[in-house]
Order: sequence, then C-alpha cells, then structure tokens
Amino acid sequence: MIRRHTPSAIFMHWFNALCWLLLLASGLALLANPDMQPVGAWWPRLWNGALGAGGLLDLHVTLGAAWLAVYVVYCLLYLRREVLPFLREIFRLTPGQDLAWCLRKGLVLTLGEPAMRRLGLNPELPPQGFYNAGQKLFAIAAVAGSLGLVLSGVLLALSRGLTDAENLVQWALFVHLACAGIVAVGLPVHIYMAALAPGEGPALRSMFTGQVPEAFARHHNPLWLTEPDGPGVMRK
Amino acid sequence: MARYVMAVDTSRCMNCRACILACQQRNGLRYGYYRNWVRRTPDAGSPSGFAFQPGSCMQCENPPCVAACPTLATYKGKDGVVRVDKERCIGCGSCVSVCPYGARYRDPVLGVADKCDYCAPSRALGLEPACVQACATRARIFGDADDPNDPVAKILAVRKVTRVEPPEHSPKPTQVYLGETKPTDWPRTTALAAPLAMMHVVAGAVRWLGALSLFGVVGVFLKELVLPSGSGPRDPDKTA
Repeated sequence: MIRRHTPSAIFMHWFNALCWLLLLASGLALLANPDMQPVGAWWPRLWNGALGAGGLLDLHVTLGAAWLAVYVVYCLLYLRREVLPFLREIFRLTPGQDLAWCLRKGLVLTLGEPAMRRLGLNPELPPQGFYNAGQKLFAIAAVAGSLGLVLSGVLLALSRGLTDAENLVQWALFVHLACAGIVAVGLPVHIYMAALAPGEGPALRSMFTGQVPEAFARHHNPLWLTEPDGPGVMRK
Repeated sequence: MARYVMAVDTSRCMNCRACILACQQRNGLRYGYYRNWVRRTPDAGSPSGFAFQPGSCMQCENPPCVAACPTLATYKGKDGVVRVDKERCIGCGSCVSVCPYGARYRDPVLGVADKCDYCAPSRALGLEPACVQACATRARIFGDADDPNDPVAKILAVRKVTRVEPPEHSPKPTQVYLGETKPTDWPRTTALAAPLAMMHVVAGAVRWLGALSLFGVVGVFLKELVLPSGSGPRDPDKTA
C-alpha cells in the first residue's frame, strides 16, 4: 500500500462534500422562482415546509460561513504542505493528452472497449499522474466555482447594509447560480466515477484510509509513481 | 376569501397629500420614502389648473414584480394583494426596477423591498388602509370586490372604470380609477434586469446539462449491472 491522501486532506474532502450538498440543496430551495433555478417549484416548497423561509436563509448563510471559515483556517495552516501542491497538481494540464483521456474514458464508459475496438477506436487511456484528466477538470471547476461562490456569497450576505447595491446584488446572484451550476453538473459524474464505477473501490477506500494498493496506483496513476516528488515523498 | 380592490375617484382629489403622510405614519416608513403618491398634471379644464391622480401599488393581476423575484419573497396573496415577505427578500431590487409604476423601493436600512400592501398589519385589526381613512373627500374607496354589499363592489358596478396601464404587456392593475383620469400614458413596460434575465438562461442550461449528467451516470451504472465491462487483466482488483 502507498499513502495517497493525508488525514487533513481526507477530512477536508468529506467536510467539503457535506457542506456542498447541504448548501446546494438549501440554495436551490432559496431560489424559489421556478424560472430562475433548475429543479422546479416542488423543491423550495419541500424545504420551506420543513424550515420556514427565514430558517432556510439562516441555515444557508450559517453553513456557508462555517464552510468558508474552516477553509480559510485550512488554507492558512496547510498552504505549503497541501494547498499549493494540490493547486499545482490540478493545473498541470497537458491539453492533448487530457482531451484524449476524457474522450476515450467517456467512450469506454458508454460504448465499452470491445465496441470501440470494433469501430476502430483506440480505447487505451494515456498514462495519468496523481490526478487523471477528469479529476483535474472537476477539481478546477470546483476550485473556480467555489471562489466565485465565496465572493458572490459574502457579497449577498453582507449586501443588506449596502445602499444602491441592487445591481451588484443582482450580478452576485447570477454568479452564485452559475458557479453552483457548473459544479453541480459535474457532481453526479464525480460521485459515480469515485464511488460506484466498477474497479474504483480502492480509490473510494483511499478517501477514508489514505492508502491505495501499489498495483492500483501503477494502473491508474503511473506517472505519479515515477515523479521525483511522487509517493516516495508522501511516504515520509 | 376577500378580493381586495381600491377604486380611486380622481375628480375628488384636491392634492392635500394626507394619504401620503397617513401611510408613512401608519407603516413607520423612513423619512423621505413613500408607498403612495399624487401625480400633478397641468389641466386647463380643472378649477385648480391641475389634474391630480392619487396612486400606489396597482396590485396587478399578473404582477411583473412577482415574476422578477428570484426567491418569491414577493407574492400575490389569495386576497389579491401583492406583498413582500421581508424574511425571504434578499434585496436584489429586481422587483423595484421592473415595476411599470415605480411603486416599490428598497428600504435603505433593512435592504429589502418595500411597497403598499393596503396596510396589511392594521387591516388584520379591522382598520381600513391609512390612505383611505385619511382622505377627507373619500377619493379612495377600498373593500372586497366579491362582496356585493361592499361599497367598492357597489361603486364598481355602476361607474365607468379606467385602468392606467402600460401600452404593451399590461400587468392588469386591480387598482382602478373611476370615470376619467389624467394622465394614463405614464406607466412603462420595463425589461427584467440583465443578470436576472441571464439567470433564466443559466437555470435552463443547468437543468439540461444536469439531467444529461445524472441520467448519463444512471445509464452507465445500469449498463454495468446488466453488461459488466468484463474483468480483463487490466482490472486492478484482480491484479492487486
């Protein structure tokens, strides 16, 4: 077994997941106008019945503030050890290889390898580093989306005291919805690939134990294993 | 359920503005902010030389403010009155800018939309709206249009009714004028603010892309259950 995730990164992943799901659910419930949100009027009604309108807004803002506070503390404490290496890793893009990986992986999932071979398509995936191309894309969307959500969310939460802020509030609301939407669209794919897809069990388990089998890493992340700051460094 | 309507006889208005002050007092409005108004238009035919037209939120049947509100803090009650739930309002002001009558403003301290609700809190105690009570000439008549014994229903049954509405896309105001009134051409159809109009587009895109993502994943999951992609030598569970 080799170490893939630190305990702090594991904690932040699950803390983030919980906050994200609750904030997404309550946010879509706050946006009650069915023309301005994607799920329809039944969802806001469900939540309003449970919490009341004021309670829902309080929950959303409190949860958002707690999420932001924990992230700020984490980023300050682990900036050099985890945050910057994580950002370097997800922005280490190789457009041609990444695109090939995403397209082939999508076809492998939907058509299957035999069908691809019959059609004369190459189902072999380009070798990947610590994150595969799909993970990098989703992580970039999540980081960028979260930054947009934080900026617009703080503005929305504080805008009650501002005068002549209507235009700013309207744009913040738009950014808030767009950023949440981008990540929400990717969320089902992330959950499937990490938790439900056949053969991905070790990856899911590693989000609890921090360890992956060496053979699994060799298959999924061969470039990571040969990197100078690869798992050898993480093992220390 | 009552259907509240206000009918205004502008020929009786003498521009004393007691309605505006009474509304401010009753509803504790901030200095310099008003929920109602009296329009003054030069009119040679009038003894004073002016035509006066009291007004307030028109409590539209198809209120653009309700359609513009992202959180539905603004809603049309079953009694016909358009109201603001201050707990839900996030102060985005899209209702303020979209109202053809300029009948709304954003409270500078609470940061939420404010407008005439026919004095809902005091109406619950059995009082008439403040502007109606304060009007010395009874130019404003208020009541339940569905109750045939109500003064407003009686007068609506016999008098000609004028609606002051924008030339296109009328939101169907329920506050009406009795007989003739001047001017009638001032309300304007106003487009929804750009960011909120774009939210319609984003919501639609997320709806379709989200469905594609969700059903795509469910489809692949079911396909794997029925037709597993096989466990060749590349399956890491087998080689681990």
